[in-house]
Amino acid sequence: MLDFKYDFDDIIPLPISSDAEGELCQIMYDDDYKHLMGIARAMLESKELSERALHITNSVVEVVPAFYTIWNYRYNIVRFLYGENAEALDKELDWLDEFTLNNPKNYQIWSYRQAILQLHPKPSFKRELPILHSMIDDDTKNYHVWSYRRWCVLFFKDFTKELAFAGDFIRRDVYNNSAWCHRMFVLKNYHPSAQEIEAEITYAKEMIEKAPQNISPWNYLRGIHEVFLSGNYSPETVEFALSFVGDFFERKFSINHEGSLCEEAPVVESSFALELLATVYSKRREHLQKAKEAYHGLIAWYDPIRKNFWEYRLGLLEKDEGK
Amino acid sequence: MPNKNISRARFINNKLLGRKRDVEEKTCIEEDIREIRPLTMQLSTETTQDRQEVVEVCEDLYHLLKHEDIHLLKEFHRMYLDYSFTNNLPPQLKALDASQPWLLYWIGNSLRLMNPKWLSKNYQQGISEKLLNASVNGGPFCGGLGQLPHLICNYAAVTALALCDNYDDCWSKINVHGIYQWLLALKMPNGGFKTCLEVGECDTRGTYCALSVAAMLNILTPELCTGVEEFLIKCQTYEGGFGGCPQEDEAHGGYTYCAVASLAILGRLEVINVGSLMEWCSARQFNEERGFSGRSNKLVDGCYSYWVGGTAAILEAYGYGECIDKPMLRDYILKCCQTKERPGLRDKPGKSPDFYHTNYVMLGLSITEHNFKVQGSVNSIKCAPIKESAEIVPINPVFGLPSEDLEKFVRFYSH
Repeated sequence: MLDFKYDFDDIIPLPISSDAEGELCQIMYDDDYKHLMGIARAMLESKELSERALHITNSVVEVVPAFYTIWNYRYNIVRFLYGENAEALDKELDWLDEFTLNNPKNYQIWSYRQAILQLHPKPSFKRELPILHSMIDDDTKNYHVWSYRRWCVLFFKDFTKELAFAGDFIRRDVYNNSAWCHRMFVLKNYHPSAQEIEAEITYAKEMIEKAPQNISPWNYLRGIHEVFLSGNYSPETVEFALSFVGDFFERKFSINHEGSLCEEAPVVESSFALELLATVYSKRREHLQKAKEAYHGLIAWYDPIRKNFWEYRLGLLEKDEGK
Repeated sequence: MPNKNISRARFINNKLLGRKRDVEEKTCIEEDIREIRPLTMQLSTETTQDRQEVVEVCEDLYHLLKHEDIHLLKEFHRMYLDYSFTNNLPPQLKALDASQPWLLYWIGNSLRLMNPKWLSKNYQQGISEKLLNASVNGGPFCGGLGQLPHLICNYAAVTALALCDNYDDCWSKINVHGIYQWLLALKMPNGGFKTCLEVGECDTRGTYCALSVAAMLNILTPELCTGVEEFLIKCQTYEGGFGGCPQEDEAHGGYTYCAVASLAILGRLEVINVGSLMEWCSARQFNEERGFSGRSNKLVDGCYSYWVGGTAAILEAYGYGECIDKPMLRDYILKCCQTKERPGLRDKPGKSPDFYHTNYVMLGLSITEHNFKVQGSVNSIKCAPIKESAEIVPINPVFGLPSEDLEKFVRFYSH
C-alpha cells in the first residue's frame, strides 16, 4: 500500500473510529487500512503539504475512491506543491486519467478534475478529449462523464466537436438519451440559425424512422419545437408524425360512458407519434376532438400505465373547451 | 385484474418491443385481449437488448406470482436491518467509510417505516451517539471520525437524528447556528450549494440537502434562499425532468426529486413547467416492468419508486393531480424488488438487496398506499391511507421521513 520511497516513521497514526463498545454500524477495518488512514488523518491534522502526503492521498483514494476529505486534502497539496506549474499539473492530470479509468463510477473525480483545470495556467480541451471519449465509449450513458463534458465545453467555450461527438454515440445506439440531451445542450448554447434548426429536425426524423418507438428523438423533436419555434409545428412535421399512426385518425371512435374506446385498436407504430399529435391538436380548437381521440387511444391501447397523466391532459382540454 | 395485466403485458410485448419470444405459451385465460400488430421497425441496440432481459425476468415473476396476494415481508426484512445494527459491518464496506451517516439513516428509516417501535431506544441511542461523537461540536456533520463536514453527509446525519425521538435530548446538541453559518459559506454565486468548502460538486442534490436541513432546523432565511429558485429553474430540461447542474444536463430521477422537493420547501412549485414535469414523471413508468426508470431509455430500478414516485407525490400534495399508476408500481415493488430467499429490497431482479434500495423502495411503497395533501405548510403534508391497512407508516414526501418524526422534529426547532 505504502511506497518504501517515503518514510512515515515520524508519524503517529490517529484512530479512525471511536472503538466505542457497541457502536452502531462499525466497519471492521483491516489493519492495513487502519494504518494507512491513521497516517493520512495525522498528516491532514498537521496540515502537512508534501510529496509523501500526496502519495498517501493516492493510496487512500485507491481503496476508498469516494473519500471526499482526502480529495480535498490532495487538492491543497497539489496547489501548494505545484502552484501554477503547467507541467506538474499535467502530470497530476495523467495520474487522474489512469485513476478514472480504474474507477469509472466514482464521481468525486470530476469535481476534483474541474478544480485542477481551474488551477492550471494553460488548460487544454484537447488534453481532456481522450479520457472523455474512452470513458463514454466504455459506459455510454455515464451521467457524470457527460455532465463533465458539458462543463468542459462551457469552460473552454468550444462547441465545434460536440454535434459530431453526440452523433457518433447516437449512430452506435439510437436510444442513447444522454447523447440526445447533449445535442440539445449544444443547440441551446450556440444560437443556431433557422437552417441549422431545420437540419436538426431532419436529423431527428431520420433517427425516428430507424426506430419509431423511441422516446429520445421524439422528445428532442418536440423540444426543438418548444424551445426554438414557440411550439409551432409545421404541416410537414404533422404529416411525419401521422405516418406512424396508421389510420388511427380515420377510424370512427365511439367513446362509451366510462370514457373508453369501443373499437378495435388500429395499428400504430409509435405511441410517441400519437402523443406529439395530441399535443399539436390540443393547440387548435378545430382539432380538439382528434386530440381527445389520441389520448383515449393512449389510455386504452398504446400506453395504458400512464392513464392518470393522459386523463390529466384530457381534463385540461375540457377546461379549454369550456372557455 | 390478472387478466388485464396479462393482456397489458402481451400488448406491450407485441407492440412496443417487437419481441421474438412467444408469450402466448404462458397465457391462456385472457378473454379480452385486443389484437395489436407488432411494430414493423424495431432496431436492436445495447439499450433494447438490456431492457429485453429485464422485461423477461419481470414478466416471469408476474406470471409466477399472479395468483398470490403478496405483502411486504416485514419480519423478514427486519432481520436484515437488525443484523446490521447488532453486528459490525464487513471490511469491504469500508467503501462507505466516508458515508457512514447514510447507513444510519437508511437502516434506521427502513425499520421505522415498517414499525416505529422497531427502531428501539437502544438504536436511537446508538445513532445519536455515533453521529455526535464523529462530528465536532454537534455539526456540521461529516462522513466519519476526523473527516471534513460534507453537505450530503450532513443531510443524512440530520435526518437520522430526526428518527431518534429526541433520545437523551440529542436534538438540543445539534449545532444549529454552526450548521447555518457553514451552509451560507457553501452557497455559490449561481445559487446552488457546493458539497464541501473547497472541492465538491454543486448540483440540485446538494441544494436539496441544504434546504431540507435548513427547513427542518428552522434556519431557512431569505439570505440562505437567495438565487436558489433561479438555479433550480435552470435545471429543468426540455424533457420536463431536472438535471444535476444548470447546463442542460440530462433529466434524471434523483436530481428531479431534489429540485422539486427544494421548490416545495421554497413554496415556489409554480415557477417551473409543472405540466412537462408530470409528463416526464409519468413517462418513467414502463407498461411491462411496471416500475420506474430514472431517465429516458434507461432500465427500471426500485429506487426510482421514491425519486420519481416522491416527485409525483409532492405534485399530488400540491393539487396538481396524480400522474403515476400506484397499483402497478406496488406490483413492481412487491414482486420484483423482494424475494423470499434474501431479506432486504433490491434494484431489480438479479441484483442483491442493499440498504439504499431497502430504504427508498420502502418509501416508494408508502407512496403507493397513500394519498397526499398539503395542509398549510410543507412540514405538514397529510398522508392518508388509500385502503384501510397500509404496510408502511405515513411519510412526508418532501423529507423522506415518517410524517410523525418529521413533524415532531420540526416542532422542536420552531420556537
